[in-house]
Amino acid sequence: MASLRLRESQITKIHYLTGILSLFAVAIHILFRLIMPFGQSLSYENVVANYHNIFYVILLESILVLISIHGFNGLRIILIELKQSPKWESTITILVLISMIGVIAYGTRTIVIASGL
Amino acid sequence: MGTVSNNKENNNMNSGREGIRGWLNPTRYGWERVSYWLQRLTGLFLLVYFVGHVYETSSLTNGVDAWNSMLELTQTIGGHIFLILVIGTSTFHTVNGIRLIFTESGKGLGKPGRPDYPYNPSSLNYTQKSGIWIALLLACIAMLYGGMVLFGEGG
Repeated sequence: MASLRLRESQITKIHYLTGILSLFAVAIHILFRLIMPFGQSLSYENVVANYHNIFYVILLESILVLISIHGFNGLRIILIELKQSPKWESTITILVLISMIGVIAYGTRTIVIASGL
Repeated sequence: MGTVSNNKENNNMNSGREGIRGWLNPTRYGWERVSYWLQRLTGLFLLVYFVGHVYETSSLTNGVDAWNSMLELTQTIGGHIFLILVIGTSTFHTVNGIRLIFTESGKGLGKPGRPDYPYNPSSLNYTQKSGIWIALLLACIAMLYGGMVLFGEGG
């Protein structure tokens, strides 16, 4: 079990990697909104059509996972900077992991239903 | 009561713990501290936006009426201004984050030297300061472009 624990340096590398990867993924996501007039790109029919494109679905799921990991790890870093004790750190880590899994699960539910998978 | 709170404050200062007040206080520091502070604030703001965006998008599963009524909330002047803020904060967070990745890998820190008067640390140099200014400048340009798209013909 102890071998499953990630070192803080490894978590930092994951933080940087998820940050850089989400930069490219979000750029493509925004381009999908800008290839036509912004208002038109948000119409129900157009958004549902986007969700039926398998590559776009993979992109959305990637954004969901990457930003969730990056964002909630960032929150963990901020909270651990404010106060340090083993109990606080493990409590924060568990709460952040639960929130992260919750957001990923909720977002995945939307992707699965909207894409009709 | 005042003495008790002063003692508590002194104890926190002595132990090096100032909590959120210390974290939010940029006055004793330079631009690097402002950048540290903005990186965390923009990160928190973007996390809140991200969770809200995931919830907002879930209205898609409830049909066209639910989607349109959710969209109406965002297609207002307030909604557009909020989105412009998201564009600005995400641009700053990204560019400053890239600067921090370079800094942590030792790039742009300068060479270590003898500490001579007035003891300016070589790591807080022109390269670092330019990086912060570029991040702020690009955030402003992105907000301007976002404003043009949202308040222009297509928005």
